[in-house]
Amino acid sequence: MKLVRLKAIAWKEFIQIGRDPRSLLLAISIPVFLLLLFGYALTLDVDRIPTVIYDLDRTPRSRDLADHFLRSKYFQLQSIAPNYSHLQEMLDRGQALMGLVIPSNFSRDLELNRDATIQVLMDGTDANTATIALGYASAITLLYSQELLLQKMNRLGAGKISPPIEPRIRIWFNPDLESKNFIVPGLIAVIMAILAAILTSGTISGEWERGTMEQLISTPIRNEELILGKLIPYFAIGMLDLSLSVAMGKFLFGVPLRGNGLLLFSLASLFLLGAICQGVVVSIVTKNQLLSSQISIILSYLPTFMLSGFIYPIANMPKLIQFITYVVPGRYFVAILKGIYSKGIGLEILWIEALLLAIYASAMTFWAYHRFKKRID
Amino acid sequence: MLQRLKSMLIKEFIQVFRNPRMRLILFLPPLIQLIIFGYAANTDIRNISLATYDLDNTPESREMIERFASSGYFRIAHRVGNPQEIRRFLDEGKISAALQINDDFARQTRQRQGTAIQLIVDGTDSNTASVVMAYAQRIVAEYSRQILVERIRTLPNIPDEMKKPFFKKGGIEIQSRAFFNPNLESRNFYVPGIMAFLIMLVTLILTTMAIVREREIGTMEQLIVSPMRPIELIMGKTIPFALIGYIDVLLVTGVGVFWFEVPIRGSLPLLLFATTLYLLSTLGIGLFISTISRTQQQAMMTMFFFFIPAILLSGFVFPIANMPEVVQYLSYADPLRYFLIIIRGIFLKGNGFRILWPQMLALTVLGTIVFTFSSLRFKKRLE
Amino acid sequence: MEERTNQGWAVEIEQLVKKFGSFTAVDHISLKVKRGEIFGFLGPNGAGKSTTIRMLCGILTPTSGNGKVGGFDIYRESEKIKQNIGYMSQKFSLYEDLRVEENLDFYSGIYRLSKEIKGSRKEWALQMAGLKDRRSSLTSTLAGGWKQRLALGCAILHEPSILFLDEPTSGVDPLSRRRFWDLIYEMAGKGVTVFVTTHYMDEAEYCDRLALINQGRIVALGTPAELKTRYMPEAVWELETDHLIDSLQALKESQRFSEVAVFGNALHVVAKKGEDLSSFIPSILAGEGIPPKRLEQIEPSLEDVFVSLIEAEDQENGGNK
Repeated sequence: MKLVRLKAIAWKEFIQIGRDPRSLLLAISIPVFLLLLFGYALTLDVDRIPTVIYDLDRTPRSRDLADHFLRSKYFQLQSIAPNYSHLQEMLDRGQALMGLVIPSNFSRDLELNRDATIQVLMDGTDANTATIALGYASAITLLYSQELLLQKMNRLGAGKISPPIEPRIRIWFNPDLESKNFIVPGLIAVIMAILAAILTSGTISGEWERGTMEQLISTPIRNEELILGKLIPYFAIGMLDLSLSVAMGKFLFGVPLRGNGLLLFSLASLFLLGAICQGVVVSIVTKNQLLSSQISIILSYLPTFMLSGFIYPIANMPKLIQFITYVVPGRYFVAILKGIYSKGIGLEILWIEALLLAIYASAMTFWAYHRFKKRID
Repeated sequence: MLQRLKSMLIKEFIQVFRNPRMRLILFLPPLIQLIIFGYAANTDIRNISLATYDLDNTPESREMIERFASSGYFRIAHRVGNPQEIRRFLDEGKISAALQINDDFARQTRQRQGTAIQLIVDGTDSNTASVVMAYAQRIVAEYSRQILVERIRTLPNIPDEMKKPFFKKGGIEIQSRAFFNPNLESRNFYVPGIMAFLIMLVTLILTTMAIVREREIGTMEQLIVSPMRPIELIMGKTIPFALIGYIDVLLVTGVGVFWFEVPIRGSLPLLLFATTLYLLSTLGIGLFISTISRTQQQAMMTMFFFFIPAILLSGFVFPIANMPEVVQYLSYADPLRYFLIIIRGIFLKGNGFRILWPQMLALTVLGTIVFTFSSLRFKKRLE
Repeated sequence: MEERTNQGWAVEIEQLVKKFGSFTAVDHISLKVKRGEIFGFLGPNGAGKSTTIRMLCGILTPTSGNGKVGGFDIYRESEKIKQNIGYMSQKFSLYEDLRVEENLDFYSGIYRLSKEIKGSRKEWALQMAGLKDRRSSLTSTLAGGWKQRLALGCAILHEPSILFLDEPTSGVDPLSRRRFWDLIYEMAGKGVTVFVTTHYMDEAEYCDRLALINQGRIVALGTPAELKTRYMPEAVWELETDHLIDSLQALKESQRFSEVAVFGNALHVVAKKGEDLSSFIPSILAGEGIPPKRLEQIEPSLEDVFVSLIEAEDQENGGNK
């Protein structure tokens, strides 16, 4: 390994990146953009569900029930339905996600000490939202009916009673339940993975297509010098983006970093190294920019976004898919990020993930070094 | 004109389909993504790992825990003997919540003032945490109400009705029905949506790269000096990929319906028609990107810059209704948004033109503007 | 820079073969190149020239056969070969988005030129290419001839003893081509071995020795003079008349000559060696009433040689096609 040759390659790559300001701009703006989107706009939290109320009872009791629903932050009144087909239409059009039907004998049943039934009709298209909305509806209804029971018991002479059991809930690690506190750390993994793929996918295949690679392989340059030289600028950009993301997380979103920042950066650089080398391998194998870009994108965003536990909990996936996630490096990086950010834990708990990331990085680097042949065939 | 167009189309098709790797790229990623989205994209919160710390150890406390276990939402992962273990398991991520029952639980429930159980929730993942809380409240409320009902029955002067079976539950019950997706399968939501996602991805990448690639290699010049008219060039560069778009629609529909058993209640021809409108936008964007990119690398990065927000703001994963007002307005410019509504409407709701015409109109308007603008720009670049 | 020996052949190949699938690009080629020689590899497109050069540079693995460049084996010692050669690929292979001097700096780094000579070599290359006052221009803005010389400069910054040039003058204007060959002569004069491929027949005349290659096989090997005399199976006669096309027609119809073609404002007639056509041709023309203005046997051009050889081969292989 001769430093001079390494420097020559790295410097050339830097010049080329600099000469193409758009790539640089995109490399920086994509993370910013993603952070802004995820930090401000995107959430899976379910609230303000547009609801239609179809009250056939129209008594103070039924209005009280409806009130309990609408007072919570989860449901938002869209309209009062004059008839059933209006409700149906709202659901069909997607203007409401839930319809609450209070039958005409609702308060009468309650008076007569019978179990009363209400109907909740959901738009099941978005199963996630529907399930959660139903959960909230059930909780509200149960609490309300318990309240009614207590009132009844009071009237029957039992006196004022509190509910027998109440849950006292304490939230650890993220007391205000800010979704950005869990989105932003995980997002960093997605950003790094996508960035690495976009930056590197064309680097080797592009030179083949332009003919400069043929020239290069006729020189004394060695594999490690070529690959490392190409890595360095992309790695620098990646670290820059990492710092930018962490800074934005802290100063713009106020996401607290409870753990060790140095640990975060070192483990992140392992992931970055692996992701960059992965992109280089794809570039080497395909020798074609169109293909390498497609393959790289799929291999980076898909696992990191879908299978890493970033948005979708791994525990909810079918067993087979869970097995697959074991070989997704993003999984370990996301765990590390969430752990360091929210829980403030360190290597004593995260050592397995750290080790696996190290293996990922070295395996990819090794593969890139080995797969590259200074020959045309 | 048709003759030249035909030769150009044939050339494009050969270039795309003769390359075995290309064939792989066209069909393998959609399938893989379908499978992953179909199986992995699941935010249903079930099997929440729970640790229990029961200091009471009475039939009542065990009943409480049993209700959590059999709710279908929680899974008892550990029964701990001391509070430090709770801390440790939470730190290590082995549990998402912990239930602590104090030693005089059973006794206290019979008292006037009632009692409380402690629930510690890992708030790292706030989405899950909110849902966990709601489920826990529901389970606790159900048990609490049960106790109340039994207690009422012991009161001296209760009305007769309360002794009857009509008063079993002691309150209000919910009867729920989920329209369009009765079993609330996540995949019914995602799998059709993938179509929109895939079409945009494929047509964008292919159109942009195909044009820029020719420019890079130099064969574009060759085409420019030929008698080929710009409109023919544009059509030649977009029609093959439009066709691939249609193939993808059919592919996803096929796999979705036959493998994932996603229902398709609406009309397939309507879907294909809507696809055409959608393609206007996606191909138009691809065309536009090709006019502002000199190299394939640039093209790819620019494409991503368009693609990522288009996906994220479309309602594919994150519901638009939950976004801030400003951002919701932005999503009106996103063709994916409309196409998703159409797709989900056709598949799950059986919606027809009567209901979906606003979205189709929006797609038409958007697509025409984008495509025309891009074509004009493309024409200008040629001269 | 290592060199195994200063004596001996610069390039030796024996029965070199390269197959791509079922297609044989290089079919049992053997030749030896002396040190300091300008050796030309001449042939039509697709003949196997680039493939051969790539194998010699160590960037393509032969299917079979032996070869040594600078004394180093092309299979096992390709990296040592790369340290001692300069290679200019067909596409010129410059970084378009780098400036002229940035390209030069890059290759200086790749070849590890020492600090002392880096500067002087760079200046020399700029001087040689005529780009001294365009050192800060982006390479993409250069015209063909300049790029060519810049590419050459990049290839010889490290003063290699053996230079491989693959179609270095394709797409370059004639003046630049001439200048380029002046440079090659200069280097050969200093003892550099130059192995060059070309499909320009006139350039072949500049080489010390030539190999004519067609469909992966060597058809002829020798100095230009040797090729024109010993190898040329036929003789070439030049005929001037006032009615060129009619003469052409008449001679062709007689079917007595292997080739009749227009050459400038004369005709070249290719016939068997030794045959005396000085009276035969006029007799044919007399039938048309065309008097010959000038008729003499001339030295065949390399193009004539080549075409004849190729056609002879094709006829031989006619049954096998």
